Amino acid sequence: MTDARTLAYINLYGILGTLENLCELDPNARALLTNKKPITIGFDVKGGPKATLTFKNGFCRMEDGLNRKCNIMLPFSSCEKFNGMIDGTVTPIPSKGFQHIGFLLNSFTALTDLLTKYLRPDPADLEDEEFFVTSTTLMFYLISVAIAQIGNNDAIGQFSAGHIPDGTIKMSIKDGPAVGIVVRNHHLITLKKSPEQYRAIMEFGDIHLARDLFDGKVNAIACIGEGTIVMGGMINMIDNVNRILDRVAVYLA
Amino acid sequence: MAKKIKINTYEKSREWFNRATQVIPSGVYGHLGPAEGNFIPVTSWPLLGNSAKGSRFWDVDGNEFIDYMCAYGPNILGYCDEDVDAAAIEQAKIGNCTTTPSYKMVELAELMVDTVASADWAFFAKNGNDVTQAAIMCARAATRRKKIIFVNGFYHGVSMWTQKVDYPGVLPEDVANNLYVAWNDFEALEKLIDENDGEVAAFIATPYMHGNYLDNSLPADGYWQKVRKLCTEKGIVLIVDDVRCGFRLDIAGSDHYYGFEADLICFCKAIANGWNVSCLCGKDSLKSAMSSLSYTGSYWMSAVPFAAGIACINKLKALDAPAMFREKGLKVTEGLCAAAANNGFNLLATGEPALFYLRITNDDSLFLHQEWISEMVRRGIFLAGHHNHFINAALTDEDINRTMEVADVAFKAVRDNHPELF
Repeated sequence: MTDARTLAYINLYGILGTLENLCELDPNARALLTNKKPITIGFDVKGGPKATLTFKNGFCRMEDGLNRKCNIMLPFSSCEKFNGMIDGTVTPIPSKGFQHIGFLLNSFTALTDLLTKYLRPDPADLEDEEFFVTSTTLMFYLISVAIAQIGNNDAIGQFSAGHIPDGTIKMSIKDGPAVGIVVRNHHLITLKKSPEQYRAIMEFGDIHLARDLFDGKVNAIACIGEGTIVMGGMINMIDNVNRILDRVAVYLA
Repeated sequence: MAKKIKINTYEKSREWFNRATQVIPSGVYGHLGPAEGNFIPVTSWPLLGNSAKGSRFWDVDGNEFIDYMCAYGPNILGYCDEDVDAAAIEQAKIGNCTTTPSYKMVELAELMVDTVASADWAFFAKNGNDVTQAAIMCARAATRRKKIIFVNGFYHGVSMWTQKVDYPGVLPEDVANNLYVAWNDFEALEKLIDENDGEVAAFIATPYMHGNYLDNSLPADGYWQKVRKLCTEKGIVLIVDDVRCGFRLDIAGSDHYYGFEADLICFCKAIANGWNVSCLCGKDSLKSAMSSLSYTGSYWMSAVPFAAGIACINKLKALDAPAMFREKGLKVTEGLCAAAANNGFNLLATGEPALFYLRITNDDSLFLHQEWISEMVRRGIFLAGHHNHFINAALTDEDINRTMEVADVAFKAVRDNHPELF
């Protein structure tokens, strides 16, 4: 029901892309990068995604595509190998930038460990409200990006995306984060900021509801009836995004 | 100065809905529920009803609504029509669900065959989905082929083959033999059939495109005639899903209305004014294949809906109901469009007047439209923002005048909310 290529796109743009938000939200993440020289890592997945992560001044930024001038280049011979790195079963070997191996082994590993702590949280940690909010916010960004990657790459996701008209869908948590999912010719891009203009909106009533939805404890259809999810505008856009959202759970399980 | 019209509140609806969610998945599921029903915002809509009569219904809070959704079609003569209900009640006194089906089944079958121009036989079930499924099985049994062509934006029920590959609970294998084509695109249909030569069992479509979230689209000149000819040449069964339009455009069937003959035609909503019965009608050439199917249900031969159906169809004929629906539909849509224009909005009405579809075109997102629909519902005019509407025979000029009065106030309310637009 899943394919390795789509998972690789989710792992790179979704999981590693969420390092951007981790650095914004958690001072501990920023601390891991302070007083360090800027550094860039290129991820080159054969038959799959290519992106570059830049760590600078305590923050992280992901750019689509490979920056050949990156300090560290991590090539992967297949999507499966890259997915293995995310699972922790494959150790990446840089093709460039051995002198920066310390960053990979220390700061980068610490950052990804911290991210894992938030994305696969211990239930006890979620008792802490601050941790809960950060964890759920990061989940929100991950899921938002995964929607676009599944819509663009997964065969069933492409079917759903094929039914979404052009425009932007605003997806948000009330009093919390918002994203715009931009659709052009059935290709999806997630912009991790609140869009100024949009053709459809889906807003989760609060962050606890969002968490329950992400964890599969409540259902979106029921929440619409209860008024805890608000939708409006081009509902056919939301309807099809929700079908992709259903696939997100399959990939992130 | 806006006229004062009561704004509904829904405290009891919410109480009942909360009770419902405890024991029913999502409270009210499907097209009558707040999610699929596009209750935007949910606070503007009644969730549970209490009673209905004629063109109106009352919710559990006692709010009254002039209903342009007609239970999504089954209300065709008016809720609780006295003639239809009397026939049903009389039948209930003498037998309903019995071991030997009542002769009423034969009477209704004869009436269907006499009424529907393309029908040589009639097969009864309960819901629209039962008969669209029967039609597909019949087509496959007759042709020994597996593929079915659908029109993009279709709705033919809830069986797995009618759903899409990305729907929860549906497997790719369930829809592996589904092919899709754009509405009104005869050349694309021709090409698709060529690409699947000898494999296509059926082409299934509604008489015109009345999909959700879409301006409804009538058949292009000659479209159906060309489709009919092509299907005949290629040995493909032509199925018309007349569940929604049936008897609202033409008492002889919507294929008759558009000047062609279907091989199989599906009816449901309009047969018995809310009493539960559906019917597949077909040509003689498919009667044997239909007989071969293993296809039945516990309540499919119940006599009460048959008695109701006979009374309903005879009354529709006596009223020349399709002409009445067209006239009333035109009156409603022309009035609403004028009310919109008077307030600076452009309201577009598409589809057949008997099943009109509405959309405010001042924005490209439906936000304004949903806001206006919400203002209408809050003031007792039940419309839908995503779906075609339905005219029923009980709708009076007084109802229509009241609708226009509310529409004017509702447009003014939306206008007041959006000074940036005017």
